[in-house]
Amino acid sequence: MCINFAAQSTFNIVVKMEKQIEDLKAIREMMEKSSKFISLSGLSGVMAGITAIAGAAFAYLFLLRDPSSTDFSRFHEIMILLGDALVVLLISIGFGIYFSWKKARKSNQKLFNKITMRTLYNLSIPLITGGLLSLIFLYRGEEEIVAAITLIFYGLALVNASKFTFEEIHYLGITEIVLGLAAAVFLNNGIIFWTIGFGLCHIVYGLILYKKYDLKK
Amino acid sequence: MANIIANLNKAFDSRIRLGIMSILSVNESADFSTIKDLLELTDGNLASHIKALEGLDYIQCTKQFIGRKPNTKYTITESGRKSFQEHLDALESLIR
Repeated sequence: MCINFAAQSTFNIVVKMEKQIEDLKAIREMMEKSSKFISLSGLSGVMAGITAIAGAAFAYLFLLRDPSSTDFSRFHEIMILLGDALVVLLISIGFGIYFSWKKARKSNQKLFNKITMRTLYNLSIPLITGGLLSLIFLYRGEEEIVAAITLIFYGLALVNASKFTFEEIHYLGITEIVLGLAAAVFLNNGIIFWTIGFGLCHIVYGLILYKKYDLKK
Repeated sequence: MANIIANLNKAFDSRIRLGIMSILSVNESADFSTIKDLLELTDGNLASHIKALEGLDYIQCTKQFIGRKPNTKYTITESGRKSFQEHLDALESLIR
């Protein structure tokens, strides 16, 4: 009788504790959901990385490997590289929106809410600054530095926006900044650092994010 | 044990109220429709819980106009933050 009573009350406590654990889980989830952009999908990173590598390969094989093989003017060459970079950027953004939209729909969330806007705003300030600065240097004919500038400002943009999304983005940002500084030191190998930063790092971090946040559901 | 349970706030017994307090504790403010979307609730359901929390003086609302559209914004009060924190502490010490 006495043992039965003890077992019963232990059972009650266990049931109660389960509710408390569930409560804490719900609280944590709501705090994250309401203050962080969690629709970001790792797959967008992977696709962006693949696109960047393809773009860099095109630039290398078509122009940079042997500049004497083509008879484009310098202006022409820069326009081709710029067009190449623009195509990579647009395809990456396209994949980013597509996979995030899919992830948001899966968890019954709107993709474009206040938090998404706040994240994009914080991302865009360093990003647009870096983009404009790159164009200025291109205009001045100093295209060697552009790989370093894009990497550094992209890294700063990620660090800035990471407060509103997954913490891994912070470390991806730091990695990009370090690679950018290295690219500024080894000016003639800019394309190598650019390919590592925008290609390889995106794929690696994309897979980490995908494994950690997308697969578990 | 009984003593710890006594620290749990009855006002936060419902998952919906916990949700509202969680949202307002990490955001400066949130408007009605944002909370509604996050918690996946109907207008009426959310309104009744918000009224209860307002009645306890845990949250407060400010009504304003954005253009011509009325907009109701909610913020957590000092006493709301304190009570929610105490409730969280109690929950945590219970499962420890």
